[in-house]
Amino acid sequence: MGQNKQPIIGVSNSILKIKELISHVASTGLNILITGETGVGKDLIAHNLYTSSPRADQNFIKVNCAALPETLLESELYGFEKGAFTGAHKNRPGKFKAADKGVLFLDEIGDMTLSLQSKMLHVLQTGEFSPLGSDQEFKTDVWVIAATNHHLEKKILNKEFREDLYYRLNIIKIDVPPLRERSEDIPSLLEYYFKKYSSKYSEEEVAKPEKNIIEKFIQYPWPGNVRELQNCIKKQMVLNDWDKVLDELLNTSPAPPATQINFNTTLENNSDTTSAFLSEFINLSTNSGNLFEDISLKKIKKLACDKIEKEVISYVLSKVAWNRSKASKILKISYKTLLYKIKELNINPQI
Amino acid sequence: MTGTHRILIVDDSKELLDTFNDFFNSMGYQVSVAPDGFDALKLLRNNSLNHFDLLITDLVMPQISGVGLITIIKKEFPDLKIIAMTGYGNEPGALATEAQADLVLYKPLDLFKMEKSITKLLKIKN
Repeated sequence: MGQNKQPIIGVSNSILKIKELISHVASTGLNILITGETGVGKDLIAHNLYTSSPRADQNFIKVNCAALPETLLESELYGFEKGAFTGAHKNRPGKFKAADKGVLFLDEIGDMTLSLQSKMLHVLQTGEFSPLGSDQEFKTDVWVIAATNHHLEKKILNKEFREDLYYRLNIIKIDVPPLRERSEDIPSLLEYYFKKYSSKYSEEEVAKPEKNIIEKFIQYPWPGNVRELQNCIKKQMVLNDWDKVLDELLNTSPAPPATQINFNTTLENNSDTTSAFLSEFINLSTNSGNLFEDISLKKIKKLACDKIEKEVISYVLSKVAWNRSKASKILKISYKTLLYKIKELNINPQI
Repeated sequence: MTGTHRILIVDDSKELLDTFNDFFNSMGYQVSVAPDGFDALKLLRNNSLNHFDLLITDLVMPQISGVGLITIIKKEFPDLKIIAMTGYGNEPGALATEAQADLVLYKPLDLFKMEKSITKLLKIKN
């Protein structure tokens, strides 16, 4: 039971309003849906709801609905009886049991399959569930907090998400805006996480960011949101060179999704296309004194590789409706590697 | 007459709020409005002495939905009558009934019919 409260950092109106909302609804036990892009801190909001609620001394159980294939997720949530399937040698309680009287945090609920959505709806309607292979229904008293980075309204239109489940989860909705829409939060986030990560080191060891660095951080769009900012600060703990951290951030940040590489472009025929193509990887501006200084094959190889990997992974994911386990099989990489790549390359579902 | 009855109307459409405000004012009610469930909840919690007789709330709203508002209100202010209104199919209405709204109305609304239901609900004698 982890009641150590992680604060929600920020001074923007949207963050202040979220904090106020939490203080008003944490005691109600009503179903909550938290929405927002990857990395905005939906977990943090869920955990804050829990620690501010009368259930804070009970369990907080998190289930990532996108991380497991359907059948595994089902047995993970509801548990199973001995003999329910090959390999079920003994009874195993599921997360609903473990979260009884506490909180069940269903992360990435938008990735749950329709048949599991139906089962979830039944539990939310009746407050009862039955483990796999059991005829018995068990009463459950869990506070369900769900989160997603999908637009569920669009998924409903596409018949990928049940409307009735949506309304049942959406009793309270907390929408966490992306960091680029609340850049006034960046200095306080920077200060908080710098203090947090540098606490292991003595004060002189790791340099704090200077004003000009903070300014650049404020201007950066942070497609990976707070998580990307945290990673940057962690990087500083290792590099202890803000300029380098910033440089890596600006040079390796993924291109906007609209930019597509045309693999058929013949470089020799069209100098404009060539420049455009090359400028994605190197600085070609002729008015700078350091022309060609930027060219490093090693760096370009990494950038080009990342870019193509990103395109291919995004393509495959979109073709399998973001079923990550299917995608990892198609790409012939492990599931873990795929999750890592999605994070590293900041791949988001195209909506 | 209806003069002493206080209504709180909650809807995220400003246009609708204005229409409701004008109409129920002209019918002799004392009207307060809130643009969402969260503001309505704060208003109710801060006004417990000077209490309302009726809450009319939309169901699909950001932050605290109408269903959420009704559930909280029924616990904290059990005497307050509640009318839910929705234009989003049957699902939110069914949830509002489950949350024990006294009446669920579907948009578009007939304001005169609505007023009749209110007099019945508040047992107002003309």
